Order: sequence, then C-alpha cells, then structure tokens
Amino acid sequence: MEEAPLVVRGLTKSYRVGHIRQSLRPALTDLDLDVRAGEILGYVGPNGSGKTTTLKLLTGLLRPDRGEARFFGLALGARAWRHRVGYLPEHPYLYDYLTPVEYLDYVGRLFGMSAARRRERTRELLALVGLERASGTPMRRFSKGMMQRAGLAQALVNDPDLLLLDEPMSGLDPLGRRLVRNLILELRRAGKTVLFSTHILSDAETLCDRVAVLRAGRLLSVGTLGEILHPDVAHLEVLVGGVGEGLGAVGGVVRQEAVGERTRLEVEEGALGRVIGAVEATGGRVLSVLPVRQSLEDYFVSEMAGSGGGADAWGEG
Amino acid sequence: MGRGLSRVAAVAANTFRETVRERVLYNLVFFAILMTASGLLLGQLSIRQDEKILIDIGLGAIDLFGTLIAVFIGVGLVSKEIERRSLYPLLAKPLSRGELFLGKFAGLVFTLLVNVAVMMAGLYATLAATGRGVEPRLLAAAYATLLGLVLVVAIAMLFSTVTSSVLASVLSVGVVVAGRFSDVVRHMGEVLPGAPRWLSEVLYAVIPNFQNFDFKDRVAYGDPVPASVLAWVTVYAAAYVTVVLAVGLASFQSRDFQ
Repeated sequence: MEEAPLVVRGLTKSYRVGHIRQSLRPALTDLDLDVRAGEILGYVGPNGSGKTTTLKLLTGLLRPDRGEARFFGLALGARAWRHRVGYLPEHPYLYDYLTPVEYLDYVGRLFGMSAARRRERTRELLALVGLERASGTPMRRFSKGMMQRAGLAQALVNDPDLLLLDEPMSGLDPLGRRLVRNLILELRRAGKTVLFSTHILSDAETLCDRVAVLRAGRLLSVGTLGEILHPDVAHLEVLVGGVGEGLGAVGGVVRQEAVGERTRLEVEEGALGRVIGAVEATGGRVLSVLPVRQSLEDYFVSEMAGSGGGADAWGEG
Repeated sequence: MGRGLSRVAAVAANTFRETVRERVLYNLVFFAILMTASGLLLGQLSIRQDEKILIDIGLGAIDLFGTLIAVFIGVGLVSKEIERRSLYPLLAKPLSRGELFLGKFAGLVFTLLVNVAVMMAGLYATLAATGRGVEPRLLAAAYATLLGLVLVVAIAMLFSTVTSSVLASVLSVGVVVAGRFSDVVRHMGEVLPGAPRWLSEVLYAVIPNFQNFDFKDRVAYGDPVPASVLAWVTVYAAAYVTVVLAVGLASFQSRDFQ
C-alpha cells in the first residue's frame, strides 16, 4: 500500500529571542498531522501561529527541537522524497538576474533532468502559470504577482505528488488568485496532494477538502469544514422593504440595519413567523430570507475570543 | 559524472552566471587593466626601470582587485542568498546544503580564474605595447596570486555563514590584511606593549600567511620561481582552504533559516 504523503508526529520548535538575556519562544508545539493522498488540506491560522515554521521544518530550512515527519514513508533526513515534493515559500525571492526560463532550467538540472526534458517542462510550466510573454525578462523586472507565479512554476518542475504552498495567494491580483485557485483544483484532479497555508479563510473554505487550524503554535482542530464548524443555522438574515424603524422591538430580532431603502434583520431561527407577521402588519414586505451558518471566520473569531487573543489577532498580510 | 557532482556543477555554473552579470565585477576588472596600462606612463619617468614597474603595477593590480572581487562577491554569494531567502526553494530540492555551498565556492573560483586570465592578458598586452614578448615567469606569480584569492573566497564564505554581509566583509578584509602583515602580527608585542603574547602567537598560527603567495618582486627582478616552491604553496593553500571550507560548511549545515 502506498504510504501517506505526509505524516507528522510531535513536531516542536522554539526560537531563541533576545541578545543578552536569551529565552526560548515556542513557535510550534507537538504537532501531529496526517495529510491524505489526493486531498487539499488548508493549514490555517493567524500571522505568527506557526504555519511558516511548520513548512520550513518540513523542508529542512529549520531543525526541529523534537518530533519527526515522514514524506511517503521516508524520514525527513532522506533525500528521495524531495523528488516527489514541491515547495513554494512565502513571498518567494528568485534570482533577479535570471529570466524565468533560465531559473526553471537551473531547477531542472538540480533534479537531474535532461536538457530536452528541461526545455519541454519549462515551456509547459510558463504556459500553466501565464508567464510565456515574460519568459525572456529578467525577474528583477517582475511584479510581486509575477514573482509568485514564477515561484509556483519552480515548485512544479519535478511534477510533484505533494505540494507544500506557503500563502500561495499572497500578493496576487484577482486574476492571479483565480489562476492559482484553478491550478490547485487542477492538481487535485490530476491526483496530486496539496498542503497550503493561508490566513485568508475564504480561500480555505473554497478550496479545501479538510482544514487544520493552528493557534499560537498548537493544532486546534483538523477535519472537514462540516466537522469543524457548527452545522446548525446560526441565525436568519431577513431583508425587508417598506418598513420604518421599530422592528428591533419584535421578539427574536437580534439586530436591525438600514440598507438604502431596505432593512436587514438578523433573526433567531424560531422567531421567523413572528417577524414576518410584524413586517406585514406594518405594511412592509419580506424580500428574502437567508439561513446563515457558522463560517470558518466565525469559528476562528470565537476561538480567539475564547483564548483571550481577540479577533484582531487575525492579521492581514 | 555522479548526481551529487552534477548538482554542484549546476550551482557552480549558475554562480558563474550570477557573478558575470554583476556590474561591479566589470568595474573592478576595468580599473585593474587601466591601472596596469598606467604603468606605461610611470615607467617612462624612471630610467631602465620601466619593465619592472610595469610588472609590479600589473601584478599588484591583479592582486588588489582580485582580492576585492573575492571578498565582496564571496561574502555576497552566501549572505545575500540567506538575507534574500533565495535559497529557500533550492534547499527543498534534492540539493544538500553541502552541495550548494561547494557549488557556490567552485563557481566563484572559476570566476576568479577567468578574471585573473583577463587581467593577465591586459598585462601582457601592455608589455607587448612596449615591445616585450610574453614572459612565462609572470604566470608563476599569477598562479600563486590565484591560490591566495581562492583562500580569500573560502574565508569570505566562512564569515558570511555566521554573520551579516557587512560584518563578514570587514572580518574578511581584516584577516587578509593581517595575513599580509603576518610579521607584524607575530611581533605585535613590540608595537602594542600591552597586547598579551599568547594572542599574537595564536593569531600568527591561525591566520594564513598571505606573504607566501606573493612572488611579484621575485618575477619583476627576473628571478624564476622553482616548481617545488609552487608545489609547496599549492599544498599550503589547499590545506587552509580545506579547513576553512570545512568550518564554513559545518556552520552552514547547522544554521536555522528563520
């Protein structure tokens, strides 16, 4: 039986902080994680929660204090798994004096590919990430988004079975984000496994089969969104027209907000009939009723509030 | 060629490409050749010393500008990779840190070889302009200078694995200067009476003696450099380069890239 793409057990890392009085700041504590073949696993958490540290530990850029990880059954120290894994670091910086063609050729040489294969693969990848027209441009002239696309291309040179992507949407414009989203879905259709870190929760909700939620270096939960999020309807969003103020006094209306000439009501599920009656009694009409379920963002905000971290710990960038 | 060697060769080839695209390299080589050519004017000011002055200035320019290239590009090769994080995607490939480090070293050594060859061609062209033929004994001095430059590269790379690029440049220049004045280091107590004797002895023992690579005066006065001396200098350089690279590699292997 084929070994799992990635199994992590007890992975722990602390950083030394301070110059004179040094102390240890835990960055990742006892991480256990299994990545299943063919899935897209979102690795989510606020800035500083340990996502990048995890990926750096897995790729050998950092040495773990303790714990282990196995790629396709092979220990971290083995070299063979590197032929089956692709890695895109956060904010990739690639050699600015090279063109993307030269850079991809260089990466292909590191994988021991023949010159003909390198040429062919470079052409394929530049088309895939939409950089054909910039193939001869030195990368120092690239925008942030173009650099991100070139970074994705280098991660795919060896046609990897497992992709580790650190904030792959970072710095991309809407078109670039769609390209990367489609690319990730395309990779899954081709049977590849993707582990991508993000702090943009909508990306995780759109793309992932499962998510692993990280907070302050500890794994909070892993599972499908259905398993992690509360499946019940949190409340109903009712849009009404032709009513004035005063519906807030009706039992079950949690919040009332004017939206132009309309009013948006946040209503408890059991109070819908009573609220509709009140709207009609005042001569108004109900325009729409939407059930609102807990989102990943709601989940995280409540978890952060519960831990005393506050919702603002979810930073941008 | 083994796979490890082919990866080292790939890194070396890319390093060579990186350095030849550095504008600073062309500036330094241009100034070295200009300085050599200026020897023509100085030579005319002295009586029957023009050839010696030309050779002195030419080989001196190769040494000086070669050292500047070795220090500043050598430091930049590793520290720039770390500071700009360009090695992150590479180290996730089937490329060990050792292969990356040795490939960088080999690439810069090849760059220096090409530069010294270009600057020597400039010196020979200047000598030819004064009606002199090719003098092979100058190659012995250039070879010894190149060995010294290879050692400077290894030292610059070692420092760049443990500290910032600015500090690594300062430390590398410091070691090279101390190595060129190793007699002063040995007798530091006479210049600085407060300096402990053990310190001068340790520094003299540890810092390579760069005077061993200096045959400029000898060839300028027409003395040949015996092959046995060149062989000894080669072994001396190889031993130091091996130790310095091993320490640099151990430091590069063990560090975290946060």
